[in-house]
Amino acid sequence: MNAQSQSQSQSQRRKNFKIEAFKHKVELDPKYAERTWKVLEHAIHEIYNNNASRLSFEELYRSAYNMVLHKYGDKLYSGLVATMTAHLNKIAKSVESAQGGLFLEKLNHKWADHNKALQMIRDILMYMDRSYVPTSHKTPVHELGLNLWRDHIIHSPNIQARLQDTLLDLVQRERTGDVINRGLMRNITKMLMDLGSSVYQDDFEKPFLDVSASFYSGESQQFIECCDCGSYLKKAERRLNEEIERVSHYLDAKTEVKITSAVEREMIANHMQRLVHMDNSGLVNMLIDDKYDDLSRMYSLFKRVPDGLSTIRDVMTSYLRERGRVLVTDTERLKDPVEFVQCLLNEKDKHDKIISTAFNNDKTFQNALNSSFEYFINLNNRSPESISLYLDDKLRKGLKGASEEEVEVVLDKVMMLFRYLQEKDVFEKYYKQHLAKRLLSGKTVSDDAERSMIVKLKTECGYQFTSKLEGMFTDMKTSEDTMLDFYAKQSAELGDGPTLAVQILTTGSWPTQPTAACNLPPEILTVCEKFRTYYLGTHSGRRLTWQTNMGTADIKATFGKGHKHELNVSTYQMCVLMLFNSADGLTYREIEQATEIPALDLKRCLQSLACVKGKNVLRKEPMSKDISEEDVFYFNDKFTSKFVKVKIGTVVAQKESEPEKQEMRQRVEEDRKPQIEAAIVRIMKSRRVLDHNSIVAEVTKQLQSRFLPNPVVIKKRIESLIEREFLERDKADRKLYRYLA
Amino acid sequence: MASRDRVRFNVGGQLFETTSTTLANAGRESMLGALLDESWNPGQPEYFIDRNPACFSTLLDLLRTGALHIPSNVPEKLLYREALYYGLLDHVRGAKWGPFDGNTLRLADSVPGRAPGDGTAIRGAPDGGCCVAHGSVVHVYNWMLEERRPISLDYQQVNDVGYIDANSIVITARERLGKGDGGMAVFSAATGELRHRFRVEHGRQPKSFTAGALSLAGLDDHRIFSSCKGRLNEYGIGVWDHNTGQQVDFFYEHPGCSLGDADKLQWLPSKNCLMVATLFPRTDNCFIGLLDLRDKSIPWCWSDAGITMNLEDKRVLHAIAMEDGHSICVINQYDDLGFIDLRAGNTNSAGTGVRWSSRSKLMNQKVPYEESCYPKLATHNGQLFSCMNDSISVFSGSEHVLTSTLRRSYGGSICDFSIGGDRLFALHNEENVFDVWDSPPCPII
Repeated sequence: MNAQSQSQSQSQRRKNFKIEAFKHKVELDPKYAERTWKVLEHAIHEIYNNNASRLSFEELYRSAYNMVLHKYGDKLYSGLVATMTAHLNKIAKSVESAQGGLFLEKLNHKWADHNKALQMIRDILMYMDRSYVPTSHKTPVHELGLNLWRDHIIHSPNIQARLQDTLLDLVQRERTGDVINRGLMRNITKMLMDLGSSVYQDDFEKPFLDVSASFYSGESQQFIECCDCGSYLKKAERRLNEEIERVSHYLDAKTEVKITSAVEREMIANHMQRLVHMDNSGLVNMLIDDKYDDLSRMYSLFKRVPDGLSTIRDVMTSYLRERGRVLVTDTERLKDPVEFVQCLLNEKDKHDKIISTAFNNDKTFQNALNSSFEYFINLNNRSPESISLYLDDKLRKGLKGASEEEVEVVLDKVMMLFRYLQEKDVFEKYYKQHLAKRLLSGKTVSDDAERSMIVKLKTECGYQFTSKLEGMFTDMKTSEDTMLDFYAKQSAELGDGPTLAVQILTTGSWPTQPTAACNLPPEILTVCEKFRTYYLGTHSGRRLTWQTNMGTADIKATFGKGHKHELNVSTYQMCVLMLFNSADGLTYREIEQATEIPALDLKRCLQSLACVKGKNVLRKEPMSKDISEEDVFYFNDKFTSKFVKVKIGTVVAQKESEPEKQEMRQRVEEDRKPQIEAAIVRIMKSRRVLDHNSIVAEVTKQLQSRFLPNPVVIKKRIESLIEREFLERDKADRKLYRYLA
Repeated sequence: MASRDRVRFNVGGQLFETTSTTLANAGRESMLGALLDESWNPGQPEYFIDRNPACFSTLLDLLRTGALHIPSNVPEKLLYREALYYGLLDHVRGAKWGPFDGNTLRLADSVPGRAPGDGTAIRGAPDGGCCVAHGSVVHVYNWMLEERRPISLDYQQVNDVGYIDANSIVITARERLGKGDGGMAVFSAATGELRHRFRVEHGRQPKSFTAGALSLAGLDDHRIFSSCKGRLNEYGIGVWDHNTGQQVDFFYEHPGCSLGDADKLQWLPSKNCLMVATLFPRTDNCFIGLLDLRDKSIPWCWSDAGITMNLEDKRVLHAIAMEDGHSICVINQYDDLGFIDLRAGNTNSAGTGVRWSSRSKLMNQKVPYEESCYPKLATHNGQLFSCMNDSISVFSGSEHVLTSTLRRSYGGSICDFSIGGDRLFALHNEENVFDVWDSPPCPII
């Protein structure tokens, strides 16, 4: 060794002259390379036989270094390949001979040994790895060891198929409930990954995915035959989680997407339709029974597959539409509008809750719910009236004692239904009427609630929509002030006469019908005339007409045995009762003549005075439920009541009678005409020339926030405008209209 | 505990004692790391290593202190050889010179060339080696400045060279008439072997071409750009992916701006554009433009076309985009620096737009040498470098103040220089010698 180091330093010195000396030295000992290689070969054997403790690393490293230095790198490298290959072939034999279950154990054990040996061999040959390998395009030692292992062990004909079968069999056993050695599995799959991603994929992952797909295809077939939808989904979810867990325990993380998509395809995508439509347990049943857990599971599982969510959404939509259609066309239910609207609200709440708890508040589901409601609410043209009646009920009494927040909640919910309405103008008509009644009768529960509702309508539909409603509130306030002023100034003149409370309603703001006033009793008439003089005196240029059909009166009556009662009645009823101050019995015709109340109203008024038990201050002959023109009425001296104050309501159907409804429709249609015309003119003014279909489309777009105009009506309005020379047809193209300035 | 940590070596007869903690600095992937690894019965009273004790001592000190001090009796090359034996060569390289700073540069070495004259280009490698394009051959040096096997592309006139990484050199070469050779290829720096030849296709037909100036896009961007001249007027900029080796794009020359003859290409990541400069004296008129390869547009360009020039007029001879991407620095025959603002929009109005610094009048007392070279520019970490005649000037700070001048006594004027691997390499014209400048490692305190 000493001699060698000397010759090296010699070469250092000589290098300065010429390289020839170097060549010379290498040829000195031709057996040197062979001898050195034998030492190294022996060491590799010892390492594989776990006898490394007797080896000197320094000596081996130096030997390998010298071989490379003296240009025997090729010999060293090829020797390494041959020696390692021989060992691996021996290992292959021993792995092959392992019995049954010991096969994997043996493979794992040998793999660990090989890795350790490889590390040590690499240590010895480190210098070769650094200098010889990169310049001669060889594979580095570590990689070489892995490649040889792959070629001689994993791809050995007696091992390759057996390894694959063993691994797949273990997975299958785990799927059927056995406990397997996961640590061993992890080591083996880790080995395949270490050998390169293509080894892992070809020798394990691909067959694993194929086998899994067919396993789940079979299992899903079996489940779907015997399970209901809910428990099928539970099983699918469990399988999916098992596979994810399996990947985390002993497979490559990249396998997760692949295996889950296989499970999703086999267990969900292939059975989607059947699952949602399953008898007695499908999606519709889950919705009916509020099965949040099942619905949530279905959502999260279906979300994983293409078209999954749209499948749920479509079924839900068609179910909601059908259910809604049945609801709004149920004539029994419609008899009580309050109940009907409450029912709609409950339906909405129920499905809102389902979407928020089970469907992750999915926007597309919310949209589907909204479009379904919009669809069926407008199937019934009574919906606007019903919603207004519901509000009326709530604002009259339903909200009594409710806190501000609770009121807001109710109003917001109603507004949501309102948004679905196409005929918002019809709603407005009814709402106005109902509001007027509430205001005039002083029946409104809370002014704040009323105003809050109007603010909501205003934000939804704009100023125009609510300006008249707000006018009504102003009128109420002004009336109050006027009355105070009237009594302050006139109290001396009025004396002991009846007290008058006048509400001055601006024409146009209120839903008043021009009806002829009835004949008021002379006592009242005097006060009324005084008020008229006062009012017209303070406001010049106004006209005052009495709406006797809308008023109320409190009168005192003394019955037999001196029973005194205060009766709260309508103006009409008051007029009728006052007649009995001077007569004991009057025929229908006499009453009609004296009061000039319209027949329909008079009948209602008499019915409520004579036919309602407990309120029958009049007695009718003959006794019957209905009023006929031949009836005779008497003051009911025997009337008793445990209350001092008796409110005698007017028999008014809460819902409108058929002819009234027709009338309302007609008025709505009538009101729409100028709006449609205005829209047409606005559009034509800016576009000058437009064809028929575009006009219809634009008018519909402009007006849809209030109502959905009928194209036939639009056409009629266009024709009317042509007649009045706002528009003309184009001479050449009859489909085109021109605006005439 | 302390004694168990202690390790004794007998290196070539001389005893050394150290600790396993010190040796751990060598890393597991070194001979000393393997020696003490538990797979090799460690814990012997003494390890014998049959190597030079003086070198071992130097290397042991390197492991102890992280600093390299080579005693005068140890030849540098011997130390490198020993470091390679122990697997500590990277440690030595890391300790040999410090982080690059133009103001602390010292001459580390001067390496004589093979033949005088016609040096084309010098490029620094990322690991501190370099290569010199010389006529039709590229000489390659590792960081120890030992020459490796020279490389060539069929012995064609080499136009430009560049490092893709420490072990891959790309070369562009001129095509010989009628031979269909030339072009561009990647070689192994270690062995000089051809790895891949880049092709150019026009209309799906592979065509032979002359490749000129080169530019590499950057670390994560695998594109290489080169100016190309085909025989059938297929002039423009070729773009390849050096990972796949395939051509990915070609920017055909627009009329009025010569791209196929470009002197300088530079990729500007901040603008997502390629700067192309074709300059005097290659062409009569200078053209500098930014190319947007995505829509094949030229969003910015500058030219001095349309001005009649006298010999004495200032001509733009080299250009470099500043690192901030806001301006282009240019230099003229009087060693004046000038700046063109990239943010000012197109400055097509002939030749205006260059803001020349007035520094030059003070600088240029002497007449340029008879056999002078055209000046060149480079930037590094905010510093600007220019070479003129036999010296390199270093400008620092945002105002580009002259802070250092690098000059060596012989070798003639500098024809090219390059910064790479924390070193500056300057190639001299007359003697064909190149100088290596680097910054010393951090001082003791």
